[in-house]
Amino acid sequence: MSIVIDSRAVERLYYDYAQTIDGGDIEAWPNYFLDSAFYQIISQENFDRGLPLGIMSCEGMGMLKDRAFASAKLNVYAPRTWRHLIGNICFDEAGDEIQSTANVVLFETIMGRSTQILLSGRYIDTIKKTDGALKFAKRVVVYDTTIIPGSVVCPI
Amino acid sequence: MDESVKQKNYQWPEQPGRIPDWVYTDKEIFAREIERIFDAANWSYAGLECELPNPGDYKRTFIGNKSILLVRAENGDVNAMLNRCAHRGAELCQHNAGTVKEFMCPYHQWTYDLKGDLCGVPFRRGVKGKGGMPKEFRLEEHGLKKVKVQRRGGAIFACLADNPPPFEEYLGPTVLGYYDRIFNGTGLKLLGYQRQRIPSNWKLILENIKDPYHASLLHVFFVTFGLFRVDQPSRVLIDESGMHTALVSQRGKQEMNDGTEQMRSFNAALKLNDPRLLDVQKEFPGDATVVMHTIWPNLILQQQSNTLATRQIIPLGPNEFEMHWTFFGYETDTEEMTQRRLRQANLMGPGGIVSMDDGEIIARVQDGLLQSASDVGIVEMGGRGSELETEHMVTEVAIRVFYDGYRKVMGL
Repeated sequence: MSIVIDSRAVERLYYDYAQTIDGGDIEAWPNYFLDSAFYQIISQENFDRGLPLGIMSCEGMGMLKDRAFASAKLNVYAPRTWRHLIGNICFDEAGDEIQSTANVVLFETIMGRSTQILLSGRYIDTIKKTDGALKFAKRVVVYDTTIIPGSVVCPI
Repeated sequence: MDESVKQKNYQWPEQPGRIPDWVYTDKEIFAREIERIFDAANWSYAGLECELPNPGDYKRTFIGNKSILLVRAENGDVNAMLNRCAHRGAELCQHNAGTVKEFMCPYHQWTYDLKGDLCGVPFRRGVKGKGGMPKEFRLEEHGLKKVKVQRRGGAIFACLADNPPPFEEYLGPTVLGYYDRIFNGTGLKLLGYQRQRIPSNWKLILENIKDPYHASLLHVFFVTFGLFRVDQPSRVLIDESGMHTALVSQRGKQEMNDGTEQMRSFNAALKLNDPRLLDVQKEFPGDATVVMHTIWPNLILQQQSNTLATRQIIPLGPNEFEMHWTFFGYETDTEEMTQRRLRQANLMGPGGIVSMDDGEIIARVQDGLLQSASDVGIVEMGGRGSELETEHMVTEVAIRVFYDGYRKVMGL
């Protein structure tokens, strides 16, 4: 079965996702995923060497919600704003799935400090259409940045 | 007090339990730390055996702010040397890890063997009778600077000075016992790295791990789920040098009691949607469920539930350091245990549900310290004493004892 996807629908998914996080509504972030989704932020170094450790890893909706709640309500960090800059979205349909990649740069502005690039990297995604909406079945953020400047306080 | 330090008018506060702000922010103090601590006769953590499984495998690591190479030799030994060509000082290896037959500097192709001995200098005898190195130039006098190596139970330590103390003596029996509990000789399995730069003085992260008082307050997650909390049976153990510490504790229940009711961050109603994050399996003898070690001068060795990690501290200047986390398990782990360790790793590291609080808060402390060189910090929780063994967590004794030792080393 093939689903013909409008490229604007895939872009929309990426941009809405970024807008939700950048807008500060972290607890709405899990809504972009399927219940069985896998999410991970992992360094290029670990990714290339086949080392499984990420800096955030969620298996399924429960862990996605727990991470979102921790970021939104439990963790203690300096006030900041985030801006995702997403480009070079490339995708292919394969059966009922879309395999997609995109570049991402994350600008972080901590109150009272200069804006910095927290990381640059790419999304490697598997997207599925359910109930008329596109959702992530798998989203892996592979970052190039060798040393993270500070902490990653929210999902990317 | 040393003459040079006096000249700058560094005055250690007379009142006990006080730490001057300048010890965290002053450039000369930092330069002295590199000289007297990292370049001196201390064992710095450098890596794990499992990072160098085969001959020729190398790891680029650090002692203080100096780049070091660890290399597995043909005979199974681990050699360590400065990652700096003896000729013009170029860094030999820029990758964090790799496999080589020899090290060659690309600049003038000086070549070194796996021991760091110089084995080739192009045009050494000149070309067509012209040029070349002087006759007296001897390869054996110009190898890479060798670094002493100590291996124990799967971890590798290194020392830039020629006269390091015996490792067992260096750690002392108490901390060595806890060290051996983790590095018990079972082969280790590398799970991956996390690397972050924190805008704070490097000592603040060691103090953070020597301070069980904050863990019951700052970290909602620890407090609520009882992973590290003052109402639990706990011990703060310090070796005789005062520089190494083990914080030992047992997991408590999510219940309201005399301790938790004083913690604003305790949340009796908080529940995980997916409890697998805290699906902890007992794996060590004894009752302790968490042991946090600070091993002077550059290592935090962490066993929190089933997460095992080394955090290597790389000081960059008074106001900045890097922390390189290496997560590991054991070769004997089942796939299920590996997955458990990876899940619990969500608590730790630059994106850790618990650890991000620490990275953030010590940066906030540094911001405060930078505003004044003349103020002092207070470490009086648990009294003003220097006990090497405390049976509770409501104490900053390990920081007080640490600064007694630090002052001796630094001549302050």
